[in-house]
Amino acid sequence: MNISGIYVLTSPDRLEECCANLAGLPGVEVHYRDVNSGKIVVTQEADNVSAEVDGLKRIKALPHIIVAEFVNHWFEEDQEMVSEIPPDLDDFEGLRHARVPDYLHK
Amino acid sequence: MSITRRDFMKSTVAASAAAAVGIPISQIAKAEVAEAEKDWQWDKAVCRFCGVGCGIMCATKDGRIVATKGDPDAPVNRGLNCIKGYFNGKILYGKDRLTQPLMRMTDGKFDKQGKFAPVTWDQAFDEMEKQFRRAHGELGPAGVSIIGSGQYTVQEGYVAAKFMKAGVRSNNIDPNARHCMASAVAAFIQTFGIDEPSGNYDDIEYTDTAVLWGANMAECHPILWSRITDRKLSHPDMKLVNLSTFGNMSSSVADLEIIFKPNTDLAIQNYIAREIVHRDAVNWDFVNKHCVFATGPYDIGYGMRNTDKFAHDAEKDIQAKENAVVLDEAEAVAQRRKAGETVEQKNAGGAGKHWQISYDDFKTAVEPYTLDFVAELSKGDPDESLDDFKVKLKQLADWFIDDQRKLVSFWTMGFNQHQRGTWVNEQCYMNHLLLGKQAQPGNGAFSLTGQPSACGTAREVGTFAHRLPADMVVANPKHRERSEKLWKLPAKTINPKVGSHIVKIMRDLEDGNIKFAWVQVNNPFQATANANHWIEAARKSDNFIVCSDPYPTVSAKVADLILPSAMIFEKWGAYGNAERRTQMWREQVPPPGQARSDVWQVLEFSKRFTVKDFWGEQKLPGLKADGFEDGKLPDVIAAARDMGYSPDDNMYKVLFATPANTKVAWPDPVAKGHDNHTVVALGENWFPEKALFEEYAEFGRGHEHDLAPFDVYYRDDVRGLKWPVVDGKETPWRFNGEYDPYVPKGEKFAFYGKALKAIPKGNLDGVTDPNKTAHTDKAKIFFRPYAAPVEQPDKNYDLWYCTGRVLEHWHTGTMTRRVPELHRAVPTATLFMHPADAQSRNMQRKDVVWIESRRGKIKAVLETQGRDRMPKGYVFLPFFDEGVFANKIALDATCPISKETDYKKCAVKVYKA
Ligand code: SF4
Repeated sequence: MNISGIYVLTSPDRLEECCANLAGLPGVEVHYRDVNSGKIVVTQEADNVSAEVDGLKRIKALPHIIVAEFVNHWFEEDQEMVSEIPPDLDDFEGLRHARVPDYLHK
Repeated sequence: MSITRRDFMKSTVAASAAAAVGIPISQIAKAEVAEAEKDWQWDKAVCRFCGVGCGIMCATKDGRIVATKGDPDAPVNRGLNCIKGYFNGKILYGKDRLTQPLMRMTDGKFDKQGKFAPVTWDQAFDEMEKQFRRAHGELGPAGVSIIGSGQYTVQEGYVAAKFMKAGVRSNNIDPNARHCMASAVAAFIQTFGIDEPSGNYDDIEYTDTAVLWGANMAECHPILWSRITDRKLSHPDMKLVNLSTFGNMSSSVADLEIIFKPNTDLAIQNYIAREIVHRDAVNWDFVNKHCVFATGPYDIGYGMRNTDKFAHDAEKDIQAKENAVVLDEAEAVAQRRKAGETVEQKNAGGAGKHWQISYDDFKTAVEPYTLDFVAELSKGDPDESLDDFKVKLKQLADWFIDDQRKLVSFWTMGFNQHQRGTWVNEQCYMNHLLLGKQAQPGNGAFSLTGQPSACGTAREVGTFAHRLPADMVVANPKHRERSEKLWKLPAKTINPKVGSHIVKIMRDLEDGNIKFAWVQVNNPFQATANANHWIEAARKSDNFIVCSDPYPTVSAKVADLILPSAMIFEKWGAYGNAERRTQMWREQVPPPGQARSDVWQVLEFSKRFTVKDFWGEQKLPGLKADGFEDGKLPDVIAAARDMGYSPDDNMYKVLFATPANTKVAWPDPVAKGHDNHTVVALGENWFPEKALFEEYAEFGRGHEHDLAPFDVYYRDDVRGLKWPVVDGKETPWRFNGEYDPYVPKGEKFAFYGKALKAIPKGNLDGVTDPNKTAHTDKAKIFFRPYAAPVEQPDKNYDLWYCTGRVLEHWHTGTMTRRVPELHRAVPTATLFMHPADAQSRNMQRKDVVWIESRRGKIKAVLETQGRDRMPKGYVFLPFFDEGVFANKIALDATCPISKETDYKKCAVKVYKA
């Protein structure tokens, strides 16, 4: 689990429409909006960093978005992703050598 | 995770994001954030990673970095950060951070075959000095080397370069930046006579058209990419073209994605030039006033060794092409010769020479690059129809030529890491200059850099084997003279012979021509192509390798001595980004344990050598220069004595702690309470980072490279300044009379760089009149032909192989792999392949596969989906992962002019492990 804080900018007259569109995206919640400047802050939940990046693209693709960028992130310790490394990777010649280059001690 | 905890985290993330972008937040939320940040001290700093050069704000508490965020006042990134930038603060705190010197030892003594054991700094320097003296004694100044970096701070690069060039009189210092933008530099110097871009990042907000040539900006320059996508969203007529050898993240919002075959960018650019000529679209006003046409030899080799002495059997067929190649059909057409002709690579040694040609010659040269010829040659995706591809090429030419359209070309490694890297860079200027779309807001060919101070340090300070500060070169007697004066050296101290570039340093270690190498701020044994050779060479008994690094990299592990370095926010420093913006930061936290800044390491080491160690007569094999005896550097000790130096003065005193520098006192009010561990460790009361910056800046002031005074960069209202900074004003667009004080009054443009302005005359075949004419204030429009890649897929090695970066990791992963979040995001490098290619090899996604080239084999996990879409016949492997070690099998061919390695194209086979 990964929560990102995302800054979105639209023109003030599109603020309501944009917030509604944003709120309609799965995993996205609108937290702050500023009627004068058109600034919005949302959080987005995603499973991993590539989902997070894809999620941002989805926001940028909404109509009337001028800016949409990450501001900050929060990661839950997530064992799942570590286990994504295939177990036989540990047997790699390269990995072993890079960790402790045995052959260099010969 | 429980719902309440998730909601709590969300509201905290949102509140701090809102505060960062200046949205009013509720009193309660404000109080929460304030409470959390109660004892934090915020200060401005710079991102450690890429060449974009984002400003960050850094919060410290009790000697630790507790938070970083995008700097809202930084014009580069306006408060935003990419995912790497966001984790800047965490890179300091990896579990395996090195905190004391480690040396290979047996029974308490240095032993090349021993295991690493902790030693004191004194022990470390004792052994290092002994080994340095051994190599220097046996081989002279050419036998020792420093492998430097585009991630050096300005001051680190300066002390390393001055130690080598002014002290040791060796030009064997070369940065990893050679692998990154040497081709860009060579093209800048040949085209404009001066290095670095004319424009700046604001071009993005001024332009209508952005063309990416071999630059996956979405992953490699994320914040510039966000500016481009913002521009596109707010400016509906903005067009974006992504030219690449495979589909990548930058294609996602592109109007046009052009997938081409390796090296055919050379042909595509000539097609555009031919269209400009045929459509009568040359901007003659601009070209007549500001440009001259030029070309050079085609038979320039591929930057490989010209002997097979060290080649393994499998490498020999490709190596042989360094001496002679048989032209294929396309090359024959493109170079107006016959297919099957054997061409000896006679100009491999003089690849950079060039001469003026006429416009008629230029027209003749681009004539073969018709749409039919170029489309057939360059179409990179076998599944795309030739007709569709032609439509795209034509569209690209239309946008270039449309005189209502402003256009910026961006490129990085696709152009630079290229066997014809200098040519392909020059071709980009060719089209921009033909159209007069250069050096104006929104119009220009813009070379981006990969590293945070490739411009500011490697290039401007001149930590290359051929350079001196401010675009001067060692081979030019006037430049040496000026440097000797500024450095207060006796005449003829500086060595006029160009030293070994980074690939050659590796080869010299293999050959026994260099026996001492000090690696600083980079990881060359993982980053250099064909790495097996160099790792073996490093372990040869009479080579001594020192590696300064905060983490145990591959280079640290193959070294004999590891020195623990302070990291970015643990020292004072300055970086210069890709738009000529110099930015500085203060030391924020102390380095851990005995880790020390690289400035301290060089200064401390320099204390061990005296005038008489280096300034007596020195042998220098191969030296031939006016005013020098062949093969020798003269004895300058007597002249040094006349200048007030004693033969026993040490290099620290002569080069660094000079009377002028020691007047620059520490403590200094600019520090605002921040510390300086370098001063403390030296036991001094002068301020090296400031004194040495000011000394260095003298080279450029009044010479087109003006930097502001040190203190100015620390002012609260300054977020870096774009040089030249003249009368306190930065220069947004160079060569343009409206913005650049160096353009003569009344002129609209002047390409005033001074290098290589005088050239002979000739035609497409060679020089006809050797008398040189000086083309003052003009840029050159080069014709450069298509040339085939030296290694291509064949029956045995049947796939193209390309290496590169991913968003989450920086270079060889030394820092980003220590950040758990980034490591988990992309834990290992996977091999990207087209699903049909996998299927035909009986392999599936997530299979572990062997990737084998003529240079060895490595294993990786196969990926057929995800962010990169390969055309059939093409595989891509990121190089950050030392476990996979992508560069072991990459080819070490380079651009023969720039000596930059081509990591983007060689041949491999892939099979199930
Ligand atoms: S890595 Fe580059 S784009 Fe990302 S924050 Fe750092 S400087 Fe900016």
